[in-house]
Amino acid sequence: MSTQRPRRAVVTGIGVIAPNGLRADAYWKSVREGLGVLDRITREGCEHLPLRVAGEVRAFDAADLIEERFLVQTDRFSHFAMAATVLALDDAGLGAVDPEEAYDIGVVTAAGSGGGEFGQRELQKLWGQGSRFVGPYQSIAWFYAASTGQISIRGGFKGPCGVVASDEAGGLDAIAHAARGVRRGTAAMVVGAAEAPLAPYSMVCQLAYPELSTVEDPDRAYRPFTKGACGFVPAEGGAMLVVEDERRARDRGAAVRAVVAGHAATFTGASQWERSREGLAHAIRGALAEADCAPEEIDVVFADALGVPAADRAEALAIADALGAHGTRVPVTAPKTGIGRAYCGAPLLDTAAAVLAMEHGQIPPTPNVFDICHDLDVVTSNARPAELRTALILSRGLMGSNAALVVRRGGDLAR
Amino acid sequence: MITTEVTVDELAALMKKAAGITVDPKELAQSLDAPFGTLGLDSLALLGIVGELENRYSRPLPPDAERCKTPREFLDLVNDTLKAGA
Repeated sequence: MSTQRPRRAVVTGIGVIAPNGLRADAYWKSVREGLGVLDRITREGCEHLPLRVAGEVRAFDAADLIEERFLVQTDRFSHFAMAATVLALDDAGLGAVDPEEAYDIGVVTAAGSGGGEFGQRELQKLWGQGSRFVGPYQSIAWFYAASTGQISIRGGFKGPCGVVASDEAGGLDAIAHAARGVRRGTAAMVVGAAEAPLAPYSMVCQLAYPELSTVEDPDRAYRPFTKGACGFVPAEGGAMLVVEDERRARDRGAAVRAVVAGHAATFTGASQWERSREGLAHAIRGALAEADCAPEEIDVVFADALGVPAADRAEALAIADALGAHGTRVPVTAPKTGIGRAYCGAPLLDTAAAVLAMEHGQIPPTPNVFDICHDLDVVTSNARPAELRTALILSRGLMGSNAALVVRRGGDLAR
Repeated sequence: MITTEVTVDELAALMKKAAGITVDPKELAQSLDAPFGTLGLDSLALLGIVGELENRYSRPLPPDAERCKTPREFLDLVNDTLKAGA
């Protein structure tokens, strides 16, 4: 065996905070069952807004996992990210960091909007009471970078850290960034994204998106690839992963859950959905090339599934453009129709679902979606048993980013 | 004239409110010379406590108040300032 084999980046831990489950096992159970949890928004101060349905993370108490001193200085989006990190590290079997190893572990998160709820509270103090009443943590809590910083500080991770702010698809870009870090020599990266867009200020910002669904029936509000497609429903939450050097993972006896095999990203402009066809197809081809993967090797596609007719059409055509005839045969799923789109957290949740689907040999269904009007084999109603070795995850952002990620099942690797 | 003085109990309550750090006032009284860092309180947290006190007493504290290293140093600075301005 050659000792010159390039380093491979593998997934060894998954932590999920999602509307349909806290922890990866609870999330997978809901996803596999096709459970739809979209519901009326109940968060304080949001009741009067014309966006009524979303995927809320309920029964979440950050204090169960995170010390209060980290909670008072951070927004809900960082609470999700810190909690998911605890779960991911626990899943990976990585406890407290050995100070000797502190520089071997880095952190990268993606963020679409930062800490809107925290920011709103402090801005209300600014204009209601005066600048002297704004707390100092406003200087850090609402920034895109807050979660990376707090995860790094709390865990003592002093390796390469970063934040990807490249729209919703940035969730996949962050995974690629982490994998590159591992390939370049970092032992492990804590990577992911979580968002908290269900607060008054944040929701008002979203109301301007023409792609937002304001349908009030939770079962009909988010139905991509159907004639009833009427936009997307937002969600909160996300997932964090531990991406690690394969050799290190094997040496310490950790389970290799999946390999981060290939990624590519493109940009085609805000709300230019017809043009996203070309951009997404290009991203898919790039991800396949990096993974050294033929189109026929793709066993399942986790679609972006925006739910806007022009965007759905563009995605279906992009899959056909990039995968050829295989594009109309490969099973396609979008579990996010059951929970909504958690912006940058959405492709992380899809990646977690893809790894779990490969492990369980089941393709989860697409809740609330039945009457497909595109030339795609969308998995509906029930999970479909299948031998899954390679999964393709797609993501697009409202501002024009497109990304594709190829992951391979961990158990198939030659030692 | 009312004498204003920030007590150890009040500092403990402010640490909880502004920085989420739970500390027993009795223990804090025993460790007034321990660096804030060992209590988990960073300079940003102390800045928040300074802001609370400035609002409470409607007067500014010295510009380097948040640079105090220990509870005793901080309480002395705060109480000297409050007394001077009383």
